Amino acid sequence: MSEVVDDAALVARFPWVQINHDSKHHFRGWLDKQLLINRCDDCSKFHHPPKPICPECWSSNLTPTAVSGSGTVHLAMHLHQGAPAPGVDYAKGAHPVVSVDLDDVPGVRFSSTVIDLPVEEVVIGLPVKLDWVERYGSPFPVFRKRATAGGES
Amino acid sequence: MSRRNPMRDEIAIVGLGSTDFSRDSGGTSAAGLAAEACINAIRDSGIDKSEIDGVVGALEPGAPRANEMSTILGLKDITHHSSPMPVAVFGLVDAMTAIFSGQCDTVLLYFAFTRAPWNSRSAAKDPFRSYLGGMMGGGLKAPPMPESIDPSAAYTAWAARYIHEYDVPREDFGRVALNMRANAARNPKAAMKAPLTMEGYLQARMIRDPLCMLDMDIPVDGADAFILTTTEKAKKLTPNPVVVHAATAGMVGSNTEDQLPSLARHGQHVVVEALKDRSDVWTDDIDVFFPYDGFSIITLGWIENMGFAKPGGAGRFMQEHWDDDLGCVMIDGRVPMNPHGGSLSEGASRGTGHLREAVTQLRREAGDRQVHEASTALIGCGGFFFNSQGAVLKRL
Repeated sequence: MSEVVDDAALVARFPWVQINHDSKHHFRGWLDKQLLINRCDDCSKFHHPPKPICPECWSSNLTPTAVSGSGTVHLAMHLHQGAPAPGVDYAKGAHPVVSVDLDDVPGVRFSSTVIDLPVEEVVIGLPVKLDWVERYGSPFPVFRKRATAGGES
Repeated sequence: MSRRNPMRDEIAIVGLGSTDFSRDSGGTSAAGLAAEACINAIRDSGIDKSEIDGVVGALEPGAPRANEMSTILGLKDITHHSSPMPVAVFGLVDAMTAIFSGQCDTVLLYFAFTRAPWNSRSAAKDPFRSYLGGMMGGGLKAPPMPESIDPSAAYTAWAARYIHEYDVPREDFGRVALNMRANAARNPKAAMKAPLTMEGYLQARMIRDPLCMLDMDIPVDGADAFILTTTEKAKKLTPNPVVVHAATAGMVGSNTEDQLPSLARHGQHVVVEALKDRSDVWTDDIDVFFPYDGFSIITLGWIENMGFAKPGGAGRFMQEHWDDDLGCVMIDGRVPMNPHGGSLSEGASRGTGHLREAVTQLRREAGDRQVHEASTALIGCGGFFFNSQGAVLKRL
């Protein structure tokens, strides 16, 4: 069920990002726990973060498209200090941050954290899937370890 | 050489002025630091302030804008002024093109740095710096999330990728830090002079694993200023002026930090291709090498992308060219790397220290860190994404 909010309410739900007319669909997707990545209707290429036109063919016909969020960690770091956020306690241990190559969106990465896994296991090459937690009362996309064929969950 | 470079050797740097770089400038404002550096540079040049008709001041947080600086210094009529993005060569190129195109004849180029509340405990206690907090947040009502891959976090993320792809030890990053610290000990202006060992590096506090405190440049208060004019005019002031042989910015068109396809092609590669094509000297001919070191991974990138080493080979290169007596890199026993101590140990001046030291070396005024008969310097400035830059400087 889609949670319909107007632009002012959308901005109020995500006070830590600058939402604009290009990214508003992406963040509305968060409220519905959907990861929406812009896809060009004319050349079929995906891009992220959201842009006003397709960088490939300059078409303005873009469709924010729900993707699975499954992928593989391409970049990984463990923050020993950083910006504050609910549920993030640097004193208790490093906070992992990853950029994930999304399986069904070639050439596009999405960056977030990995939950429910010891930080030392959050490394480049880790297979992950998308999940959602709550941050400041709004859904926030995160990753968790994904079971692979023959692997353990 | 295959690209147009009509400005080659036509613009000279005839004045240098700086403050010291420190972790605490006491009661001096950023404008006060900038004024000190600018006055020193104007006096050093021998040019009267009434002849300055261009003012270029980098858009650093807290730094005075070009119109403010002009007012503070009581300059006369100005026909070119601008506030380019931070990192030294943006300002350098802007000043050069303004002079070369005839917008003005003599430019005051300055950079002022002030520690912000979010990167220094003592700065956080200074009520006069509190306004900088609002400037950085861009007016947001809440701080950005820990997961935001801002430019500084991105260097750590790509450092992890570098370690993963080339299977290199942290000691490769440590050598960058050790080189800068040993050199800073010979630079009276430097903020960090305490000796550093590899053990000390490996035990330093982790900030964003795999990068520790010593992989990240040291926030300082300070300022650098330069006077630029035509080489023709410079020759009337000094028989051997320091000129800009080639300079360029560079970025790949698609440069979002976490979307960069790979370490195999980014801004540094664009810079190297453009600079090499505009220069008649390259790595074999230079006397001093200035790879930027805002983060240690950037230095490894410059060493490799300039052509000194293969991808993943910068650490081994530094080891092979290490001078045990001096405790730093001496390429072929001759060419030092950031002899002033770089951003890691002199202070985070976003490349202006590199530019100042290059000119100082080519003027042969670097004291006990002077490279014998230095005549050419190669500068790789900025990082991977949107602020990569480079310059070749020559002594005529």
